[in-house]
Amino acid sequence: MKRARHAAIVALGAAIAALSFVASAPAEDDAAQRGRKVLEAAGGCTCHSDVKGGGGPLSGGRAMKTPFGVFYSSNITPDPETGIGRWSDADFVRAMREGLAPDGHAYFPVFPYTSFTGMSDGDVLALKAYLFTLPPVRRENRPHEAWPPFSWRIAAAAWRFMFFAPGRFASDPAQSPEWNRGAYLVTAVAHCGECHTPRTLPGALDRGRWLAGSKDGPEGDLAPNLTPDVDTGIGLWTKTDMVWFLQTGQLPDGDDAEGLMLEVIEHGYEHMPEADLQAIALYLHALPPVRNDALAKREQDPAE
Amino acid sequence: MHSIRIDRKTGIAAAWLAAAMMIPGAAEAQDAGKLDEGSIKYRQSVMESVGGDMAAIANIMKYGLPLSANVVTHAEGLASHAKLVRSAFERKVTSGPNDAEPAIWEKVDEFKEKTQAFETETAKLVDVAKAGDPAALGVQMKATGKSCGGCHDSFRKPKEESFKRKGGGD
Repeated sequence: MKRARHAAIVALGAAIAALSFVASAPAEDDAAQRGRKVLEAAGGCTCHSDVKGGGGPLSGGRAMKTPFGVFYSSNITPDPETGIGRWSDADFVRAMREGLAPDGHAYFPVFPYTSFTGMSDGDVLALKAYLFTLPPVRRENRPHEAWPPFSWRIAAAAWRFMFFAPGRFASDPAQSPEWNRGAYLVTAVAHCGECHTPRTLPGALDRGRWLAGSKDGPEGDLAPNLTPDVDTGIGLWTKTDMVWFLQTGQLPDGDDAEGLMLEVIEHGYEHMPEADLQAIALYLHALPPVRNDALAKREQDPAE
Repeated sequence: MHSIRIDRKTGIAAAWLAAAMMIPGAAEAQDAGKLDEGSIKYRQSVMESVGGDMAAIANIMKYGLPLSANVVTHAEGLASHAKLVRSAFERKVTSGPNDAEPAIWEKVDEFKEKTQAFETETAKLVDVAKAGDPAALGVQMKATGKSCGGCHDSFRKPKEESFKRKGGGD
């Protein structure tokens, strides 16, 4: 009797599950949930949130000061008029991985498609699924204020032609799965190199000094050296220090992260699974150390 | 050897004479310079104490050290040093090797509000540390760190302008 009742409850549960499958397509919900994790691994896409200007989350308009002028991020909420509400999956994939807008024009590389090109299909589409669950915000995109010739759309296309190498992340079979996971996250999804790698004169990433820090980070901030160089990088950090930093924004010496780094932690990295943060730490600590004297701290006072 | 001793004696005598002849204003200026210098050093020592206790709690937590009994002491250290921050910045010194923004002495109310927030969060940290719940401690450590950043964001020079990177002095 008891058993029969149990079976009935199970059957009822299954029926409800089946019903809700039809009604709200949980397969998509799964994708959206995975997409939220992708968004977090991308630092919450906070460059698309104009925190200081009071714009809603991900509705764009945030000023990114670069050596080439001021660029304004775009509205990535699913508003059909001012956001990405009318974008197809193919549009979204092309934007993320190839740096091309639905109308075919090239984005300025202030949008880090140069990193996102390494993302997997699954992650890119999950991200779109998640973005499309967000409330649409009506907010017109603001034109960039770059200096000629960087303000010309053709410049973005020329830049893309010269400096962009499309390609998905390829695992290195000689390395551990954890290292490969860290490499995928750092180089593609979390796009660390976009701020932390120095740029050449035309604004391309100087890949010979990968993650060695940059004085021209977004919003004019200095982006520290993430290679394990003892004097100018994270050589004296432990992997535990790195995981803690990405979970709290607190540095090994008790100091705090500020600016955009704190935002990408709060809206993104701190919500990542700890295993992913450990993979990032592992990858960073395995990098070849690069000394970056442009970022070197002054010699400490011997009395200190 | 002998002549050196005379030279030194002469030097000391000359110094005394010069000191005696100094006009009061110059002496005050010298004192002011010394106080400026000392104020910078003092601020930095207070901040180092704060950073030291923050890092100590973080190290106990992130490495899972069997020293949770020490957390209360570090939290109390933070809470008591937090109360010294405003007085450490009472004297306006913006030149010299330091990272204080002049805004500290321009937006007095905001500075007071931000330093008060740090006092509030560190006082809470003591309570949470005493209660001994690791999850709550993690949450409050984040809140405390945020109150550090809340003040640093407006009132400490950004890293790229830090005296430590500019070579100091000016």
